[in-house]
Amino acid sequence: MFFNSLHFAAFLPIVFLLYWFVFNKNKSWQNSLLIIASYYFYACWDWRFLFLLVFSTLLDYFTGIMIEKNETISKRRFWFWLSIIVNLGFLGVFKYYNFFATSFTELINGFGFQVNPLLIKVILPVGISFYTFHGLSYVIDIYYKRIKAEYNFIDYSLFVSYFPLLVAGPIERATHLLPQVKVKREFSFEKAKEGVHQIIWGLVKKVVIADSCAMYANEVFNHQEDMNSLSLVLGAIYFAFQIYGDFSGYSDIALGTSKLFGIDLLKNFNFPYFSRDIAEFWRRWHISLSSWFRDYLYIPLGGSKGGKWMQVRNTFIIFLVSGFWHGANWTFIAWGLINAIYFLPLLLLNKNRSNLEDINFRWNREGLQTILHIVLTFSITTFAWIFFRAKSISDALLYIKNMFTNLNFDVQYLGNERYSFELLPLVGVFIVFEWFHKYKTEPISGKYENVKLLFCIMAILALGVFSDYKEFIYFQF
Amino acid sequence: MKRFFKKIILFLVILFVASLLLDVIYTAIISHSAERNKIENVIHTSNKKYDVVFMGTSRANNHFVTKVFEDKGFKAFNYGISGSHLFETSLLLKLMVANKYEIKNLILEADLSICNEKRDEGTTARFMPYIHRNEIIKNHYKNEADFYQIYYLPFYRYIKFDNKIGFREVYDVAAKKPTNTLFNKGYYPLISHKKGNMKNDISSLKVIRNKYYEEIKQICKQNNIKLTVVMTPMCQNTKGLDYFDKVHQLYPEIHNFENVITDDKYFASCGHLNDEGAKIYTNYIMNFFYN
Repeated sequence: MFFNSLHFAAFLPIVFLLYWFVFNKNKSWQNSLLIIASYYFYACWDWRFLFLLVFSTLLDYFTGIMIEKNETISKRRFWFWLSIIVNLGFLGVFKYYNFFATSFTELINGFGFQVNPLLIKVILPVGISFYTFHGLSYVIDIYYKRIKAEYNFIDYSLFVSYFPLLVAGPIERATHLLPQVKVKREFSFEKAKEGVHQIIWGLVKKVVIADSCAMYANEVFNHQEDMNSLSLVLGAIYFAFQIYGDFSGYSDIALGTSKLFGIDLLKNFNFPYFSRDIAEFWRRWHISLSSWFRDYLYIPLGGSKGGKWMQVRNTFIIFLVSGFWHGANWTFIAWGLINAIYFLPLLLLNKNRSNLEDINFRWNREGLQTILHIVLTFSITTFAWIFFRAKSISDALLYIKNMFTNLNFDVQYLGNERYSFELLPLVGVFIVFEWFHKYKTEPISGKYENVKLLFCIMAILALGVFSDYKEFIYFQF
Repeated sequence: MKRFFKKIILFLVILFVASLLLDVIYTAIISHSAERNKIENVIHTSNKKYDVVFMGTSRANNHFVTKVFEDKGFKAFNYGISGSHLFETSLLLKLMVANKYEIKNLILEADLSICNEKRDEGTTARFMPYIHRNEIIKNHYKNEADFYQIYYLPFYRYIKFDNKIGFREVYDVAAKKPTNTLFNKGYYPLISHKKGNMKNDISSLKVIRNKYYEEIKQICKQNNIKLTVVMTPMCQNTKGLDYFDKVHQLYPEIHNFENVITDDKYFASCGHLNDEGAKIYTNYIMNFFYN
């Protein structure tokens, strides 16, 4: 069941009505309904993997309690590592086993031996990377005594399986979500209205921007050998907006849906393409994952405490792990590495925290400098996305080589019967619209909100891509 | 909660009005066009007279060279539609009859399409703007699973088939952008290129008694149209070529001309002849039936 499907359009109002009119007696009733709805939501993808979700919930629930109950360090450590190993073990088997098996046999074959990889035929359970990280943060926080273990199994189950965030985040923290599920939610008109607006804006981003860009980006990337420099540049730009529209659109729908049930989720995107340097970009892109790696990997590794060399080492580690988290392919690792390299000069010059304040744009020299920095940051980010999108490293390198050596900038007619530049006006309008609403959660609320609502609905209906359906990119992670 | 429900009702009203408005605009613009594809051309014209009409899939569109017949004094047109199935061919023929087309001979390409009774989404899209104002189209789609959504939900048809009758098509119609569909009297010549796929596997296709083929036969009988049904060539590297014999066994009236051309140099892809091959094939057909 996708957020932009008719199935979800029927599912959401039913759960909403039951939640506020039938199961509104107390928070246990509310939570029970949300768990049932969440399990149904997950089962719509593949009911067989429900056992994995239930197992993950039980594992972290019990290990969390055992860590808290045990006084001795050795016992606490035992339960802690049990949870970490089993959680990462599942992730390793389902997501990474085939990658390691193939890479290992390729290495062996490189030495002249003939070995066939022993591969397993298993599909990746949707959302496994998200709910595994979800549970891990909970157990780690208990181990380091940052939070208390949750003894109410229903509340804890909802924390893990809450359907708006179940399959593609945001990756929640116990400190943020658990306090909200532990109290009865009261209906708030403002919050629900904002939720509906956020859902609609998320749909605009997904079906109008991301899926339109996907049609062009796919055509360019799938036939890159026939493309000239202009088409290759445009293909990379379209992919940059495809992945942004897709994932931030998904996050908007998730946050908006959750608001309908009176629960706030962590903000996942903050207009990342208006970043003035790469450090700012990573503070604005997939915020819940970046902050997860900061809190549970970068800081435990020593963070920025141990001198420059330590900082550089830790930065490279989190970017490589972050890349690998996205998928079992060298392309993602290369993407992580490139971002780490981008980060390096800022780190060495102590400028990685120089753009913490919001953009205060004025039409003067400083303003033009800001625009220049934004364009530069967007360009290098887009360059890195080529590795993220390509099927293999060699494909990515070939793409880049052709982009810089072809030097033909004629407009090409693509195989999908469209000119390569055609989508630029739509992307341009989207950028301008985002720029003027960059301090708001969603752009519809406020003055003329009904007119803006009408325009958004018209845009979804008239400009949305429906027949050439594209799954949300982050579902594969 | 009352305020929220009011907001939701307002949202639904906006959604409904926007859908209705867009439906009216799209229908008005698209149905204004008569030259961008063969379907709208048939819907918008009447009283045409033909000695020979070709119908079928892309294997008709790319294989029957209308000019070969015209040069021999026949008034002909190729109504083959790329991607279509017999489902749409039957509907198009019904529309021709309703619009008082006088057709003496219909040459129908029916081979690979015999195994399929489903509709083709791309071709179906072209009929959708007319579903409310044309009873024949409405009745033809009446038994489809999504008929009620398509017929009663405003704008649903334009969303469902957005890649064919969406915003781009509306824009192109409004801008009066021409297409080449009606050039060469409907025949679309193909050229061979290096990347042409020269292999095919049709061994899984199952010959069935196709109800739309039966429907076409019935329409021709009722309207005194002489129906000739043929199969057309496939490239050498095709697995399961006995499929054509099976079609002939079930329907002996369908002429098996699959092996009229066998040399791959006459093919643009495995299932499609190039222009040179199409001319040889059309000459063969004409000599076979009209000499």
